Amino acid sequence: MKREPTARPLGRAARRLTALATATALTGLAACSGGSGGDDPAGDLNDAGAMSGYAADTTFRATEPVEFSILWTDWPESPVKDSWEIFDEIEERTNVSLELTHVPFSDHVEKRSLLISAGDAPDVIPLVYTGEEQQFAASQAVLPMSDYVEHMPNFQKYVEEWDLGQMIDNLRLADGKYYMVPGLQEVSVPTFTLLVREDVFDEVGAPIPETWDELRGALEKIKAEHPDSKPLADGFEGGSMLNYAAHAFGTVAGWGYGNGTFFDEEKGEFVYAGASDEYRDMLEYFHGLAEDGLLDTESFTATNEGEGTVTEKFAAGEVFAASGAAGTVQEFSTALDATDAKGTYEIVQIAPPGGPAGQVVEPRNFWHGFMLTAETRDHPNFLALVQFLDWLYYSPEARDLLRWGVEGETFTKSDDGEYTLDPEYSLKSFNINLDGDTDIGEDLGYSNNVLSDSTESRALKESYNSPQYVEYIDSVLSTRTPRDPFPPAPLDEVELEQASLLATPLKDTVDTNTLKFIIGDRPLSEWDAYVAELEAQNLQGYLDLINGAYERFAQENG
Amino acid sequence: MVTSVMNPVRPGGGVSVGPRDTVGYRVFTWLNTITLVVICLVTLYPFVTLLAQSFSSAGAIKAGLVNAVPVGFNLETYRAVMRDGGFWTSYGNTVLYTVVGTAIAMVLTTTFAYVISKRHLRGRNVLIGIAVFTMFFNGGIIPNYVLISALGMKNTMWAIVLPGALSVFNLLVMKAFFENLPREVEEAAQIDGLGWFGIFTRIVLPLSKAMIATMVLFYSVAYWNDWFAAFLYVDRNELFPLSLYLRNLIAGASTTTAASAAAAGTTTDVISANIQAVAMILAIIPILCVYPFVQRYFVSGVMLGSVKG
Repeated sequence: MKREPTARPLGRAARRLTALATATALTGLAACSGGSGGDDPAGDLNDAGAMSGYAADTTFRATEPVEFSILWTDWPESPVKDSWEIFDEIEERTNVSLELTHVPFSDHVEKRSLLISAGDAPDVIPLVYTGEEQQFAASQAVLPMSDYVEHMPNFQKYVEEWDLGQMIDNLRLADGKYYMVPGLQEVSVPTFTLLVREDVFDEVGAPIPETWDELRGALEKIKAEHPDSKPLADGFEGGSMLNYAAHAFGTVAGWGYGNGTFFDEEKGEFVYAGASDEYRDMLEYFHGLAEDGLLDTESFTATNEGEGTVTEKFAAGEVFAASGAAGTVQEFSTALDATDAKGTYEIVQIAPPGGPAGQVVEPRNFWHGFMLTAETRDHPNFLALVQFLDWLYYSPEARDLLRWGVEGETFTKSDDGEYTLDPEYSLKSFNINLDGDTDIGEDLGYSNNVLSDSTESRALKESYNSPQYVEYIDSVLSTRTPRDPFPPAPLDEVELEQASLLATPLKDTVDTNTLKFIIGDRPLSEWDAYVAELEAQNLQGYLDLINGAYERFAQENG
Repeated sequence: MVTSVMNPVRPGGGVSVGPRDTVGYRVFTWLNTITLVVICLVTLYPFVTLLAQSFSSAGAIKAGLVNAVPVGFNLETYRAVMRDGGFWTSYGNTVLYTVVGTAIAMVLTTTFAYVISKRHLRGRNVLIGIAVFTMFFNGGIIPNYVLISALGMKNTMWAIVLPGALSVFNLLVMKAFFENLPREVEEAAQIDGLGWFGIFTRIVLPLSKAMIATMVLFYSVAYWNDWFAAFLYVDRNELFPLSLYLRNLIAGASTTTAASAAAAGTTTDVISANIQAVAMILAIIPILCVYPFVQRYFVSGVMLGSVKG
């Protein structure tokens, strides 16, 4: 029973921390530190320092110097340096100085929970993805942002201009409010998709696949040329590939499985994805690939770490198509460059193939946004804070500043909206001007991970990404349709608990059997038995809960 | 007692098999040697790979070409890591936390252990009880956090150094050790006119060097490796210890994190494996250098404890 004084097994500690923080947040223990949160929406806000005529597309400037604290995640490759001028530039324009609370990237989600639960969080919590706010909303530890968006003209302008109103409504929780405001994207494409070795596809005479059936054809041709290969792989235990494949088959799976429900437009109600015929069709497809040796099943069961990773197989010419994001292309290229294939290969990121449900990809997405801790409601400069964040997160002026720096100094913008980085400067993280002396990211703090990629117009998004990625964006937007988002069905606190008790075992059953069906450990003839297993786990009760919430929300909110 | 295999390997190599050894003993010796060599290799291999990776190019590591020998040999990664200011700041912090923490921990542990090792002390069981209680129950992370925060120790060295300054396990080992010191020595000192404090500092402590060395090793390794306290109580970069820096570098880039980030719709840039390897190598070096020297005491400390009665 050896107990060392402070070192703890890392996994356990982190898990315990998350569980504790969540539990605390959920049981409302943190609410005591909640301050005045709810009932008085924007009645009389503390407006010291706020602008009286603040409107969209005007630069926010506090009427007196103010200071706000913000949670700052440190990515290991881009630590905040003394030479960063971004905060000075923001202060100069807005009279707002930001005080950073640093958290290392490795555990930033846990630390955030801890800080909020302990009532010790800074004013602004950035890097919040939709859904993450729920646990804090339940205990009123964060503010209902929907009460304050009337003071956010830029936000409202772009929600309307980019047609995001319905998606914003989907953020509403059971009380009809939303507790975070997301980063808005004029266009949104799947981050993870299929990467293929275009040179190998060309070599065997297979076109770039537009559908999963075409992909199968191409894989067969490759297999004929390279009999030892298993040409298709997923470096993310299947989660990534099943996610984007599911949309083409008209269901949800993998990373995108969510709570397991899928809205059936015809029936007008939620059905369980894992028990649907579409899900079965998808499994049949992948099982077929596995059976014919076209799918590297190992990559569906093992993580992409240690020996035998997908990257290694890609480099060794054992895999020719795999899941990944823009960064994965880079990773595969680095590995291939270390082999004989250097200079002969070409990797392209293709639009996710279509399927029985059509050329459908995931619904449009938000990017990360922010929430405000409940205590900020009592901040003497509260209104100024809301206005400042509206400017910072949603005004084109601030977005240009956060991405490219100071116009006329670090970059120029032509009349037709093209951004050019000054030759003196570089942006290494996107391979731009590698010869520049000063890096606007590393050295000056622009293009940082915390603030810079939240809200983006299409032009801004395309300005810094590689031409290949821009091509990918264009091909998705021109040839694919995003699936419509599901209607909201927010659960109240009690229902949430019930739902998670029901959903967890259901999802476990689905996950286990998904793999078994694909690999062939369980024949698909046992599908009905599998569905019966799900039903025995009170599938209907779970669906009733979700559909009940859906109908209630529809009634209450029209 | 410990059965020691007398000199199974001669300095010149070859297993010592004397003419009088039985067949069974010879087989045993061979098997022993083989097993130990295998265990040694298995333990050493990850380290050698890490060392090889630290001198290799990122591409070669990704392509899975690096095993025991560097591929694409370069020193550039070492230069890059050593140029990074954050690395040296956190390195300095770790050294500071380890030294200060271990010093405080040793004072607390030895004095407390000495007091509770005296059987005639009234209320001794209460004192032991208070210590042992914390082995089984604690307030939990958030109450601890609120406590440290209320004490004003957040974002100071003390938040890292003090919460772990008394390990009950070490305390009990120390107590058992003190209990086994011959009472007569202390009595003699008492007759010669030393007070309790004098006995403790001038008689007991000098007699406990082996044990103290062992404890120093335990504490300093624990402080060196600790990231959790810093993760909880520190949110200023310039105070982060090396462990947190490394964790950010390595755990932050692992596939699981990438996957969860991806599920949330983002991507993570991956720190290349060679940078990770270099940082790890540089981080283990000090402990690696200290260990063999202190380890000698560790063994003799254990032996001392084993000769009872």
